[in-house]
Amino acid sequence: MARTLKALALVVLTLALGTSCGGSDSGAKGNVDFLVFGDPEELRAYRNIISEYERRNDGAHVRLIEASDRDDLIARLSTSFAGGSPPDLFLINYRFYGQFASKGVLEPVEQRVEDSAAFEVDHFYPQAVEAFRWNGELTCMPQNISSLVVYYNRDLFRKYDVPEPRPGWTWNELVDVAAKLTKNTDGKGRYELYGLGIEPSIIRLAPLVWSNAGEIVDSHEAPTRLTLDSPEALEAMQLLFDLRGTHAVVPTETDVESEDDESRFMNGRLAMLFSSRRSTPVFRTIESFDWDVAPMPIVREPAGILHSDAYCLTKASKNKDAAWSFMEFALGEEGQRIAARTGRTVPSLRSVANSEAFLNPSAKPRKSRVFLDAIPNIRHVPTVSTWPEIEDAIEGELEQGLYEGVPPEEVARKAIAATTPLFARAER
Amino acid sequence: MTDRRRHLFLLAPYAFGLTALVFLPGLVTFALALTEYDLIRSPSFVGLDNFRELWNDAIFERALRNSLHFAAFGVPFRLVIAFGLALLLHASFRGVTLFRSAAVVPTVVPEIAYGLLWLWFFNPLYGPINLFLDLGGAPERTFWGAQLPQWLTNGADARAAIVVMSLFTIGELFVVLLVARQAIPRALYELGETEGASPFRTFATLTLPLLAPVLLLLFCRDTIFSLQATFVPALIVTNGGPPPYETTYVPLFVYRNAFEYLRYGYASAATVVMFVLTGLIVLLQWRIYRRWRMAFSG
Repeated sequence: MARTLKALALVVLTLALGTSCGGSDSGAKGNVDFLVFGDPEELRAYRNIISEYERRNDGAHVRLIEASDRDDLIARLSTSFAGGSPPDLFLINYRFYGQFASKGVLEPVEQRVEDSAAFEVDHFYPQAVEAFRWNGELTCMPQNISSLVVYYNRDLFRKYDVPEPRPGWTWNELVDVAAKLTKNTDGKGRYELYGLGIEPSIIRLAPLVWSNAGEIVDSHEAPTRLTLDSPEALEAMQLLFDLRGTHAVVPTETDVESEDDESRFMNGRLAMLFSSRRSTPVFRTIESFDWDVAPMPIVREPAGILHSDAYCLTKASKNKDAAWSFMEFALGEEGQRIAARTGRTVPSLRSVANSEAFLNPSAKPRKSRVFLDAIPNIRHVPTVSTWPEIEDAIEGELEQGLYEGVPPEEVARKAIAATTPLFARAER
Repeated sequence: MTDRRRHLFLLAPYAFGLTALVFLPGLVTFALALTEYDLIRSPSFVGLDNFRELWNDAIFERALRNSLHFAAFGVPFRLVIAFGLALLLHASFRGVTLFRSAAVVPTVVPEIAYGLLWLWFFNPLYGPINLFLDLGGAPERTFWGAQLPQWLTNGADARAAIVVMSLFTIGELFVVLLVARQAIPRALYELGETEGASPFRTFATLTLPLLAPVLLLLFCRDTIFSLQATFVPALIVTNGGPPPYETTYVPLFVYRNAFEYLRYGYASAATVVMFVLTGLIVLLQWRIYRRWRMAFSG
């Protein structure tokens, strides 16, 4: 069955992606295939950018290819590269681009950015740009720079007379607030309200470790192992696991399997949720209550984690100039304004991030500046080629820690044992 | 045209398809298993390194055990249910067509839709299965007092869920057994009735031996099928979890390594191991059947 799927995927993708790679016109003219994945609200942002771009450029045609999720996007990319007909452009998170950058299939954009009349590299937040440098060379261009924030239900805070989070709040304060907003009125059966939602993954744990003055790997540039067994990391892991084990303020595993945290928040059964800007478009559809965002609470020092996706140009693209022309538009002032207005992105272009398009006080969240205030303390995880495997291997162990009560020391030991060979196999 | 030529002529399209879509890709898979290949750069020969790595890969071992578990539980249950339905529905009676159609329908539902449907069925809190089991029971308890199944969060329950899903897609088994049962001459049963044979004796000495070759064929075929059929359920319903890899079966392991981690050579080696294992299981089944038949005829 797997063989059949591979063959089918190759055939379908070759047909789907190969049909419109014929032109080699310079400038905006010609067809560009652009592969993305996302929620319907997110895809709407890309459609808006494309239609505005096509309206302004006669003869330009950008075809949006929609993958169902990140795994599907990576499978489509790998099979289309194998079939020799990759899309001209694709959008990918920095945590996952390393496996393609390491194989030399991405067209470096350093020179194109230098030559661009639309923007300069200094116009972008360096925290996002640096994450897409492969061996020092700018390989993809980031469209956004989100950090981890706490979405919260303002109505529930008012109802239970709990003060809203303030800048600089601490982890202990977060736990106190979450406890006040966790409700089980009849004392048995299911909780009708949980205080907090957080997924047991390395991208949620990492900012906690950093905030506790620890590290997640032994070397950021050339990591060889996780350092989750350091005292700071173990402490941070304990803080995460205690949310379920000691405080019982986050949903149980069964609760999460029944209703994911984002849906639970939207249904008013979760008071706070750790998430990136990705959740904003879908939360803007909430009509039954008021919500806003608060900064990531501090353990010892402020820390945040980068969430950023970039436009990547493929080396095998037969229409690189047209693809770059679209990239320039999408990453420039106008394109970033369109994306920002949909709520999906924290613009990577500083001028747009600080403009009304992003900070519009009449659009939720009212405190969008929280995302910008977090940027100076933002860090990113390593971008080695095997990072997707490493994340998967860690996630299983963290789930056991959060939901099954496995001690941090054992979680760290297993995660390190499972991932050290993956670091050794990584290409940098 | 002679009979032989006519047969060859009729078989030619199938033989061509089999060669182009099965044998050649199979050979390529065998060759790629000896290489490091990321789907992007040219493959490089690594000998048996992939197999050595598989030997020490705890996730692959888990996937292999899970696949064998599924075959061991899924195949007998599927066969027994299909056989039972064929015996119940072989005769003509009012409404039988409706029942036969109902037995086949789940098999023709697209796999993804079928998986999504079961994802809702197995929802621990809001799914109809647990809501039914919980009727009149204490919180989180079945109506007979046992703990409610944790279909998506407990390893054993999740593996059981994947088996349960497979028990309704038995349309092909059912159709073949139905036709085979209908092909048994009615006169044989009339003879049994005349001699006063009980229904059980008729089943044991007439129906079962006559259908045994078909059952064996289906047993072998379903074993091969079951080692591959876990892909969509594991991807859609359980996503290979709960941790650690409780419902990661070999097809999902192969898919992730090939297409998510770009380790096509390694995934090919896992496919080869699965292929060899499937061959060994079918060979074992065949030998058991031959012994059984010799004993029966002796």
